[in-house]
Amino acid sequence: MSIWEKLTGLPREIVMTLVMISIIIPALNPLGLPLMTGQMSQDWYDAVDALPEGSVILFDIGYGSGGYPSLGPGNIAAFHQMFDKDLKIVIMATALEGTLMYPLVMAGVDPEGNYGAVYGEDYVFIGYVAGTQTAMAGVLGDLHDLVTNDYQGNPISSMPILDDVNGADDIDLVAYVTTSGDIAEGWVYQAYSQYSMDVVGGTLSMMTTSIKPYYDSGQLLGIMDGIKGAADLEFLTGHAGDAIVSSDILTFSQTLVLIFIAVGNISWFMSKKEVKS
Amino acid sequence: MDYKRDIPLAITFLVGVIAIGDYYTGIEAVTQTFNVIKNWGIVLQGFALGLGAVNLFRVHGRRVSARKEGTDWVFSAVLLIMLAVHIVIGLMTGQYEQGETYNWLYNSIYLPISSTMYSSLAFYMAYGAYKVLRARNFDAALLFITAVLVIIGNTPMFPAIYPGFFHMREWIFGPIVSGAYRGVRIGIGIEAVVLGIKTLIGMETGYLGRR
Amino acid sequence: MVTMDPQIWLAAFFTIAATSYAFRDNVVFKFAEYTFIGVAAAHQIVMGVKNIRDYGWTKIMEGQIIYVVVFVLGIMLYARFHREYYWLYRFPIAFLVGNGVGISIRAAIHSDFIVQISETAKTPLITGDALGTINALITFVGAVTAIVHFIFTQEKLHEGAIGYIPKIGRWLMLLAFGASFGNTVMSRFGMYQGRVVFLLRDWLQII
Repeated sequence: MSIWEKLTGLPREIVMTLVMISIIIPALNPLGLPLMTGQMSQDWYDAVDALPEGSVILFDIGYGSGGYPSLGPGNIAAFHQMFDKDLKIVIMATALEGTLMYPLVMAGVDPEGNYGAVYGEDYVFIGYVAGTQTAMAGVLGDLHDLVTNDYQGNPISSMPILDDVNGADDIDLVAYVTTSGDIAEGWVYQAYSQYSMDVVGGTLSMMTTSIKPYYDSGQLLGIMDGIKGAADLEFLTGHAGDAIVSSDILTFSQTLVLIFIAVGNISWFMSKKEVKS
Repeated sequence: MDYKRDIPLAITFLVGVIAIGDYYTGIEAVTQTFNVIKNWGIVLQGFALGLGAVNLFRVHGRRVSARKEGTDWVFSAVLLIMLAVHIVIGLMTGQYEQGETYNWLYNSIYLPISSTMYSSLAFYMAYGAYKVLRARNFDAALLFITAVLVIIGNTPMFPAIYPGFFHMREWIFGPIVSGAYRGVRIGIGIEAVVLGIKTLIGMETGYLGRR
Repeated sequence: MVTMDPQIWLAAFFTIAATSYAFRDNVVFKFAEYTFIGVAAAHQIVMGVKNIRDYGWTKIMEGQIIYVVVFVLGIMLYARFHREYYWLYRFPIAFLVGNGVGISIRAAIHSDFIVQISETAKTPLITGDALGTINALITFVGAVTAIVHFIFTQEKLHEGAIGYIPKIGRWLMLLAFGASFGNTVMSRFGMYQGRVVFLLRDWLQII
């Protein structure tokens, strides 16, 4: 077996072990490389920054444990920006695990401690609403007709933040963070298409290409592009977190992938040449 | 008339038309009716969430009661125990997923397994890139080029050395991705509308199940 | 030093168990896999019951007795598991499908079709600078040729000189899919690094 054939056929265990090492080493020894922020994340930041104090944001936690490592840090950074600007946040979940992501995110934001925010006055969490687009249409159509209590069972009639929020007309911006294509499209359909609302969306990086047409056509004002977008938001809001930490890990692991691609292709071409000759 | 199929098809048509009518007409009666349909739909979705679990009970329950060699019935028993324990803990206190014990179990079991399984595809991506991502022909070379350029642009080290890599990545996501995916998105839109209309008029009946 | 928190130990065990499949299939992974399926299904039931209580039962308690009909329809969904009366589940499913289809296609026509086409049509191809013009041309050509690529009912469109139009569409889509692949690599590694950081920081406490 020639060297090229050996290089083409590295066992799976070796490849996986190298991948593992490429993630562990930078986690132990961070490099602190500079970040370059993308335009989509900048536009998300600017869209929220342009809102006057007291504006109402409807925020959808549309992801679960699978997306938390990538999107959780971005969600936290987004909330930091919103609380910092004294915006009113009506939080809901269209994902089954959204209600379990909420305490994790709020532990990272600590709105009461950091911003003096009061639950029920500055923010409220209405919990999980089943039905994806049906839920979106219901909340934007007539919130008080659909929702009676918040996620803990407290009546929303006792929450001052929702006194003047009945539906789409009373909401200034819709923001969502999701791992689901249905939810990502659904908010564009239900918020922008139905009510011409401003919408910003956060998704996994692999979904960015499919929702980019909405961003290009102005249906989305900004996109938080997975872990990269989360790191950008952390940088822009000045609240460094797990996403910025991840960029060093991505340096090593993605460089390893590039090496694998190079080795795989070179050895394949060379072994083909050997066979021909 | 086969009322077991025709009435459901009529329901699909009627509900769909009301939903579409709410969007395109300003008729108050249609909007009010659609509000009712929306709210009913949300409750029905809640009922639908249990269908998967009931099916799991049936399938794995049969496996456990049969205890056939080579059917992993022991793991089926583990599944059913976990299912039952979590349902009891979730529903018993009346706090559902907000309960302390439920949260503890979620953070100990569900979250780590789910996030790891979802993300361990990273290993397969790396292995796939090594084994399969080859510039074998012109078409494959096109995919290969942008994949490599985007990975380079996404890797913070390379833009730190030369910012042009990041701008290249941004440019690829500009005209190339925008143009091509706009075409794809229009195609998806046409497909979704056609499939939707076929469903509403009763040409697509797969959702009704067996005859 | 290593944490003594049992929750973190359990989470670390399941993280390692789920990762082990990348190396080879094994009993520990199978245990984690089946546990996950069971817990996921249980979570669906818990959230389903809560949803029914919050959006259905509270309405009945408020006096909207009509929601009893919704509860009956919901129970009819489970008729699909019955050999003889499975057809009863078609009624609630028809409601859900009609609702879902109606809600999504009404806006899809606007968002996925009208807005995309109008943006393609109204964007000026000749801009003030060379790069802007090139970008606008690539975007326009990409959108149009990608749509043409999907017209399979006209065979002549894919033959001869005119066949280069859908071919260009395919090439541009392949370039875009390569970009998507590149982002997918980042996405997956971005997710997995979170688990590694958890193991090193929260479990082993070495960072």
